[in-house]
Amino acid sequence: MEDMIQVDRAMSTQQGTKISAKGVQVYYGDNHAIKDVNVEIDDKTVTAFIGPSGCGKSTFLRCLNRMNDTIDVARVAGDILIDGEDIYDPKVDPVQLRAKVGMVFQKPNPFPKSIYDNVAYGPKIHGLARNKAELDAIVESSLRKAALWNEAKDRLDAPGTGLSGGQQQRLCIARAIATAPEVLLMDEPCSALDPIATAQVEELIDELRQSFSVVIVTHSMQQAARVSQKTAFFHLGNLVEYDDTDKIFTNPQDSRTESYISGRIG
Amino acid sequence: MSNLLIIAIILGLGVAGFVLGRQRALVSAGGDKRNLHSLPIYYGANVALSAILPATGLLAIWLIVQPMAINSAVSDLISDDSISETGTRDLVMADVRRVAEGLDRAVQTGAMGADTSFALDAGTDDVRDTLASLGVALGSDVTPETLAAGQRYRELLGTGNLLKTLAVIATGLLGLCVTYLRTHKDFRARNTVENGVLLLLIGAASIAVLTTVGIVLSLVFNTIEFFRLYQASDFFFGTNWSPSFSGRGQTSELGILPLLWGTLYISFVALVVAVPLGLFAAIYLSEYASKGVRSVAKPLLELLAGIPTIVYGLFALLTVGPLLVEAFGDGGLFGVSWMAGGTAVMTAGLVMGIMLIPFVSSLSDDIINAVPQAMRDGSYGLGATKSETVRQVILPAALPGIVGAVLLAASRAIGETMIVVLGAGAAARLSLNPFDAMTTVTAKIVSQLTGDSDFASPEALVAFALGITLFVITLGLNVFALYIVRKYREQYD
Repeated sequence: MEDMIQVDRAMSTQQGTKISAKGVQVYYGDNHAIKDVNVEIDDKTVTAFIGPSGCGKSTFLRCLNRMNDTIDVARVAGDILIDGEDIYDPKVDPVQLRAKVGMVFQKPNPFPKSIYDNVAYGPKIHGLARNKAELDAIVESSLRKAALWNEAKDRLDAPGTGLSGGQQQRLCIARAIATAPEVLLMDEPCSALDPIATAQVEELIDELRQSFSVVIVTHSMQQAARVSQKTAFFHLGNLVEYDDTDKIFTNPQDSRTESYISGRIG
Repeated sequence: MSNLLIIAIILGLGVAGFVLGRQRALVSAGGDKRNLHSLPIYYGANVALSAILPATGLLAIWLIVQPMAINSAVSDLISDDSISETGTRDLVMADVRRVAEGLDRAVQTGAMGADTSFALDAGTDDVRDTLASLGVALGSDVTPETLAAGQRYRELLGTGNLLKTLAVIATGLLGLCVTYLRTHKDFRARNTVENGVLLLLIGAASIAVLTTVGIVLSLVFNTIEFFRLYQASDFFFGTNWSPSFSGRGQTSELGILPLLWGTLYISFVALVVAVPLGLFAAIYLSEYASKGVRSVAKPLLELLAGIPTIVYGLFALLTVGPLLVEAFGDGGLFGVSWMAGGTAVMTAGLVMGIMLIPFVSSLSDDIINAVPQAMRDGSYGLGATKSETVRQVILPAALPGIVGAVLLAASRAIGETMIVVLGAGAAARLSLNPFDAMTTVTAKIVSQLTGDSDFASPEALVAFALGITLFVITLGLNVFALYIVRKYREQYD
């Protein structure tokens, strides 16, 4: 296991910055949830956000595709650039942005539709397919990338809610990658899954790194160590430390990081 | 002894039992309530309940059974000859009861001694005149047979009432004593009271259910009576509704089809108005409106449900009808003359639709809110707009529930009366033109039973057949709606 991680690390090549956040502040009403976060997220890399509950890691993740816009009391300040473009610029349409920055949630949330329609939902509303054949192709390739094709190909018309928890979460991942996003945000994608389904999803995340920049929020430090190349540690709304994953876990610079990963706080 | 007094005595026993039971428990615990199994009030309540509940139960059963028993005992005394003279056994029995009551009243007011009242002879004393002077009117002279039956009735009633009083009070005392003696610091009064509470709740629930059964039964018996006088096939398949109140059945045509058609047509128009408006209002309120708007708009919308239907009827008659005539009547805005008068299917349907909006909107709103937030997040996360999310994710997820809401609104529309009476006219006809006056089943039930109606004629009894037809239709719709709503609930809970 340890060897595999080392090999993975060696393979991870720095491909330039995908997302760049500068001085990000988030307020929920009077509550200052994110305090002056600066972070550069690399392309084609898995970046993990770790930290105790309520530290703001999910909040910051939801800033990256402007999901916080759907919450009335949330207010975001500072700059978040994706490919050098400010996503909070008034010119940017949050609806288009979310097609480019896909999201997978904590609990599998397939729509009450067939497996096919679940995956085809995004391509349909964004008009990505010119005809049925292209749509079929998108659905198939998305399900293949999500490692669900073999299990689902014979039951594409069956309701997505009838799958097992792990399959549902992979369906949600397929649904997210069907819109051809550039970044994939995952908010504790394995917390509702059993260990076997978790292993499958983690394997999948590693493969997705070939095509996307993946940002994953996780409660499990082991998971962060297994799947990510870079790790950011959040505490009380501050970004405490952000570095290569092996460095964070073997040689943390900040005493709070060290306390957290050794289990003394959090 | 009057029933009210008996109840008061039982309640008095209950209060006494409460005080005694509480005291006995405390004494057995040496005055320290920490030694008791239950709180002191439970011991009191336990004794009080066992004094009150069995006694009142007995009283209720007695009140139901006694009149039936006396009636059947007395009616045996009446020969078939006297029945054929006056008509039915019921009429004779009514006279018997009135004679008995009249004599009792005479004794009470002192106009007659108790002995003389029992020694009356129908041949020599003019019972009818004597009673008339006391304010009891009798339809015919009192025959010896009626008088004898009346006297027997009085005797039985007197004995019955005495027995009732004794039995009920004895039951109360017995309950009190038995439970009082059982009261001890280790007695589990708390658990026993729990059972008493359960009994009370079951009683309340079964009264509601039994009432429904009673309503259905009263409809069924009268309907059977109606079908004895009128062909069932003519009723269900007749296309003509023209009751005649002068003749006795022969000249009346009582076909339900025109009424059913009017009912369904008006309900259809109402739903066409109410479903889109109510649904869109619900979507706005649950998905788009801010908290402030929602907290004001939702109660305002639900206020519509609190307006009495007669007010809606007036609105239809005075405002909507004339407006529609101005638009669709002769020389109206649209240059067509489809509408002759203000009362029409359209008038009643539109107003009924407005009445139903809060039904549809408030039920749909609850159902849309029950769709998990995760569905919305998933859709927004894929870059869908609000309306795309509503159309493609939320409505399909909420659809079964919304269908249930619509069906409930439909059964409400079918049963609506006042708006139809004032807004749709009274003419029963089969027509496709929504600007024609039509009428519904409910409106006709009202018109068949108001005024002087002879409850033995098919013209009056038809109301019960109409009622039970309507009941079956709305019951079916309700059951279907509940089935759908329940099936939907299982999806997310």
